[in-house]
Amino acid sequence: MAAQPQPTSAMQVVLGAIQLPRRWRLGFGPILAALVLIVIVVATASAYLYVPHNPMSMDALQRLKGPSETYWLGTDPYGRDLFSRVMVGGQVSLLIGVAAAIVSVLIGLVIGLISGFFRMADALIMRVMDALMAIPSILLAIALVALVGPSVGSVIFAITIPEVPRVVRLVRSVVLSAREEPYVEAAIALGSSMPKILWKHLMPNTLAPLIVQGTYICASAILTEAILSFLGAGVSTEIPTWGNIMAEGRMFFQIKPELIFWPGLLLSLCILSINLLGDTARDLLDPRLKKREA
Amino acid sequence: MQFRNRPFDTAPVALKIEKLTVRTANDDDAVKILDQIDVTIREGETVCLVGESGSGKSVTSLAIMGLLPKGALEVAGGRVELDGMNLLDLDASTMRKLRASRISMIFQEPMTALNPVMKVGDQIEEVLDSHTKLPAREKKKRVIDIMEQVHLPDVERIYGSYPHQLSGGQRQRIMIAMALILEPKLLIADEPTTALDVTTQNQVLKLIAELQERHGTAVLFITHDMGVVAEIADTVYVMRHGKIVESAPIETLLRSPQKDYTRNLLEAVPSLIPRDARPLADGAPALDVEGLTKVYDTRSFFGRGRETRAAQDVRFAIRPGRTLGIVGESGSGKSTVARCIMRLIDPTDGRITVGKADIAKLGRAALQPHRKHIQIVFQDPFRSLNPRWKVGDSLIEGPLNFGQSRKQALDHARELMELVGLPPDALGRYPHQFSGGQRQRIAIARAIAMRPDVLVADEAVSALDVSVQAQVLKLLDDLQEKLGIAILFITHDLRVAAQICDDVVVMQHGRIVEHDTAGNVLSRPQHEYTRALIDAAPGRRWDFANFRELATA
Repeated sequence: MAAQPQPTSAMQVVLGAIQLPRRWRLGFGPILAALVLIVIVVATASAYLYVPHNPMSMDALQRLKGPSETYWLGTDPYGRDLFSRVMVGGQVSLLIGVAAAIVSVLIGLVIGLISGFFRMADALIMRVMDALMAIPSILLAIALVALVGPSVGSVIFAITIPEVPRVVRLVRSVVLSAREEPYVEAAIALGSSMPKILWKHLMPNTLAPLIVQGTYICASAILTEAILSFLGAGVSTEIPTWGNIMAEGRMFFQIKPELIFWPGLLLSLCILSINLLGDTARDLLDPRLKKREA
Repeated sequence: MQFRNRPFDTAPVALKIEKLTVRTANDDDAVKILDQIDVTIREGETVCLVGESGSGKSVTSLAIMGLLPKGALEVAGGRVELDGMNLLDLDASTMRKLRASRISMIFQEPMTALNPVMKVGDQIEEVLDSHTKLPAREKKKRVIDIMEQVHLPDVERIYGSYPHQLSGGQRQRIMIAMALILEPKLLIADEPTTALDVTTQNQVLKLIAELQERHGTAVLFITHDMGVVAEIADTVYVMRHGKIVESAPIETLLRSPQKDYTRNLLEAVPSLIPRDARPLADGAPALDVEGLTKVYDTRSFFGRGRETRAAQDVRFAIRPGRTLGIVGESGSGKSTVARCIMRLIDPTDGRITVGKADIAKLGRAALQPHRKHIQIVFQDPFRSLNPRWKVGDSLIEGPLNFGQSRKQALDHARELMELVGLPPDALGRYPHQFSGGQRQRIAIARAIAMRPDVLVADEAVSALDVSVQAQVLKLLDDLQEKLGIAILFITHDLRVAAQICDDVVVMQHGRIVEHDTAGNVLSRPQHEYTRALIDAAPGRRWDFANFRELATA
């Protein structure tokens, strides 16, 4: 690697001024990804403060208009402002992504710890997990939404359940190798209780891989939400989400591709950024990968 | 003691290292790992490179082979001359041709050095494939021939075996066969017997010497074990901090070492003469084990299962203030016994009485109050402390479990640090900031923090350098004096056992074959297996600490 890359843009000059310790010094990609993500999150979260129109209000006279000063990105088949809908729609999409990631990581962590440490529970738990993994996750999610009815909560639930087995497997494998460490045996000899050993000795080993896994789940959950909405199995259609907006736009795709292009663009940018940050986190948290690269 | 006093002044030089310097590869603060070392190896000669961990022995061998890790270490000067060529000038492809054909290497751990998914015969053949163009029939003949030379039994069967189907000694023989099949001029052996049992080690050392004689190979033998050095070396180079401290023919070095460091190194080698017998303590035993048996059921899905008796009818007792050693080779069941006693695994049968209670059959909850009476120190100090915890937190983990307040426990921990010879501010630091010996002290302090009656030391000094080993043994002895604990000391090293144990139990195949005072076991062994173990101990006729032969042989 070069000793010190020459600053190539104004942004890098600014960022270069912040002196990070060597191992935390990041490349151009991750910084750009973080900026994109921050902009999208802030813009969608504060959408109601600045959007020019109510994203739900229909206007039959303004159907399928092109971009103009009042409607910056044009309007949809019901005469609603596309820009307002896309920005507000991001709220639900991102909320679902983050919530699904957090909930599935937490559930997976608890089940994985139990499964990795208590051999009796392991056989049973892992067979249930295998069964869950055997069903295609979209199919499972559709079935779950059908079961509990469409709402934001049920979509989060439906996306979380198929992700849990992957987290469980990850946590279990970390626990299985960590429990053989002499310091865990020493803790047993010191009379520490099982919950204490699980929580204070074994759980910290799982954090680094879980952070990485969490970012991937977050990205795939946003995507799954869009797919569910697109298929009509997601959040009810009056609430704008990126998936819903695209689903409604698909009939007019050939005459007005913007209906799909704008929400699709934000969705792609979001997922790309999150995945890139996940890769960066993985490299930083796993020193071996870094060495191989050098 | 018979040394290999062979003259080499007239023999042609096989390898000459001159002023070799190796340093770390980062530009800002390069550290010299090797500093101007000179080594000469003549044909047919065995040169031993000895030194403690971090002295640069392995880096020397890697530098000769041109295998220094790229981007981490680099040669900064000097010559390595073989066949009139400077190896340091050669490009990668020339060097690749030289490896195996002119210089070859065997490693410490034959399991990881061999490819687990390839038959060993094919692995030896691979060496021929990449360096010669022999017809298939000829190749097979050469491979069978070298396998016979390394005295592998049933060569045809082993030819088609995978590494995991062979014993450690057999795997090391395969490695040696691979290294010598092209009759290289120089063989580099980096701790080739460290992972092997003493009896196997003895055979492998003899084998290397025999093949060397037959082929006239020069051997560069890297080891930390002075006993091994005494057995096989013609010339010894002592290394420390990347420099050659002293070099001399073996007998000269052992009889009259010139440098203080060499002297200290030799004095730290534990003697095989057992410690003076201590008066028998009376009173009830702190630990009483009776009929301890552990059976592993390897039940297969089809057909009937097979039983492995890892420990069978093991019985012994330790009184307060005494040390009992369990010695034996790997697989003898000594660690199984330790882990059963600690109840890290559940014994199949037998009684384990600690104080007055039999803990062999207690459930997890019922066992908890008894845990504080019996504590363990593990072999590997790098893994027995949680790397994420400050030392202080590790030390008070046990006392907190038994109802001490945090402040009380920390006060006690501070005293313990002093007791094991570490500064009190060590409590606020993390394990990676300490050396192996210091970590082992911390592990001992953690065990002592529980004020146990019995301390189990499972190979507790095996991973340490001899000088550190001596200090930790002394610490254990002092602690025993002060606290009157009973110690169960598990080791494969008879020298260590001789230094610390009052009584010794010898185990083989899960059974006790001999149980007597340390003096009797080591000087007047009764059982054939004990005798074999003592005979195989390298350098056993030499009194390293006094620079002379043992008085009684």
